[in-house]
Amino acid sequence: MIDRQWIGFATAPSTIAIDRWHVRLFCQAIGETNAVHWDEAAARGTGLAACPVPPTFLKAIETEHYTSAALLRKLGVPVRSVLHAEQSFEYLAPVHVGDALEVSRVIADTFEKRDGALSFIVVDTHFRRSEATVCTSRQTIVVRNRQESE
Amino acid sequence: MTTPERIELDCGPVAAIDLALYAAASGDHNPLHLDAEVAHAGGFDRPVVHGMLTMAHAGRLITRHFGEQSLLSLSTRFIAPAVLGDIIRLSGTLAEVADGVARYDITARNAQGTMLATGAARVRLAT
Repeated sequence: MIDRQWIGFATAPSTIAIDRWHVRLFCQAIGETNAVHWDEAAARGTGLAACPVPPTFLKAIETEHYTSAALLRKLGVPVRSVLHAEQSFEYLAPVHVGDALEVSRVIADTFEKRDGALSFIVVDTHFRRSEATVCTSRQTIVVRNRQESE
Repeated sequence: MTTPERIELDCGPVAAIDLALYAAASGDHNPLHLDAEVAHAGGFDRPVVHGMLTMAHAGRLITRHFGEQSLLSLSTRFIAPAVLGDIIRLSGTLAEVADGVARYDITARNAQGTMLATGAARVRLAT
């Protein structure tokens, strides 16, 4: 059971610079071989002004800002009892290597299912560049609660 | 450009190095993804693939067909985790085209056909 008073809890915004080496490592991890993501000449060669980050890269920037594990600790939830249930991203503007994004996360909701066997935590993240929102994301975490009988 | 009815991408098999690289790149160091004993204790035969790695492949499914800046939104519901050694088969089915934007319904399955994740993507089509 997660106290619903946590709804609305927000992290203090911090600014994260998007590093070429980090993007390259991320591409390596996901099997992305298109060099436009980390090689400026390759990006310009295809008419791009700079190196665009791959679609889900901002999840790593979110983690650099404030990990979901740290959020779970704050809520007193053991990290080994959780699974990632849902994730979504809305892309409002392209994000490139060299950008500095202001990131903040907020607990949007928490609720129980199956008579409390499962707790859900919904976390929204906002990514802003020069005051304009470039992306929003929503993560739903499911907590498998230990039953009293176990 | 015609908008394909169906797009596909096969990834993997997911190796231990892939999970280690993804942990480093993403900052998600949950031992469920890296440590066989922790995975066992959690009720899984083998270390669990980060859901976000499966989603990253779903992103690649879109960008390799439509370009690096085509994706307007991507959502995923994780149904059953992929585990170490799994092949992840991504498939997108065209659901709708309106105002230059295509919507694809996405599935991720392993080689046995078990549904790992479902989702949707909105894609800006080249004009």
